[in-house]
Amino acid sequence: MKFKCAELKEYEIVGRPLAKNDEKMPVYKMTIFAPDEIVAKSRFWYFLRQLKKVRKVNGEILRQTEMSNTSPTKIKNFGIWVRYDSRSGSHNMYREYRDVSRTGAVTQCYRDMAARHRARPHSIQIMKIETVKAADTKRP
Amino acid sequence: AISLARIGSSGINAEYGEVGRLCYIRLGDNAGKTCVIVDLVDQKRLLVDGPHCGLARQVIRLKNLAITDLKVKIARGCKTNVVRAAVTKEDIANKFLQTSLSKKAESKKAKAALGDFDRFKLRVAKTAHNRKIRSAVRKLKKSS
Repeated sequence: MKFKCAELKEYEIVGRPLAKNDEKMPVYKMTIFAPDEIVAKSRFWYFLRQLKKVRKVNGEILRQTEMSNTSPTKIKNFGIWVRYDSRSGSHNMYREYRDVSRTGAVTQCYRDMAARHRARPHSIQIMKIETVKAADTKRP
Repeated sequence: AISLARIGSSGINAEYGEVGRLCYIRLGDNAGKTCVIVDLVDQKRLLVDGPHCGLARQVIRLKNLAITDLKVKIARGCKTNVVRAAVTKEDIANKFLQTSLSKKAESKKAKAALGDFDRFKLRVAKTAHNRKIRSAVRKLKKSS
């Protein structure tokens, strides 16, 4: 569950399952949008658990860095691929937002999903976010 | 350039927000400064730059701005140097000081900075002024 007052932050979190006896363990990296570090870590484990057989107890976070905004004075169009749970099932969506930063666009997305689809933050997963050129946007 | 209609906060001014227009910032940390519109983010937000005021390039909400009828010729999304050059070339800062918006803002600031004695002086001056007007009106009424 996320409680958002201001803009989200983008974190790059790298973690891996704990290595016993010098085994080489795979290392996983995720980009998480969260209001703060703690929630970011929590979401990291939440997603990793769903995708791989790792739990927080059996794993460690190797690195967590907050990603700063590239070019905060340049307006960009962002395409965001979202997966969310509605009252009657899970759906994929592609949404576009015009903003100055990735975090701004994702924050807009969460607000927008809540407004248009009554989707709460815990049921939204940001699958991918990409900058889209103005000519390639679906909504002009 | 894309234009957008202004859901006016000043009401009288039905100016459009477009690239190059000078705006006066009414609310927020940067209140009182002027800036030039460089680009639009969406219906409610503008990318704005004010190198002549020491205002960094940033996104501002339309409702924090008052759009003036002064305009600078710049391309959409141009760099800060270009904005600075255009502003100094057209001497926008001084032109803005001539507008009524700027003068009203100045007088508001001056009024807020009045001390108690100044307010007393203002009140005395005002009553004297009004008394003169009222006596003149009364004279005109009597004579008619």
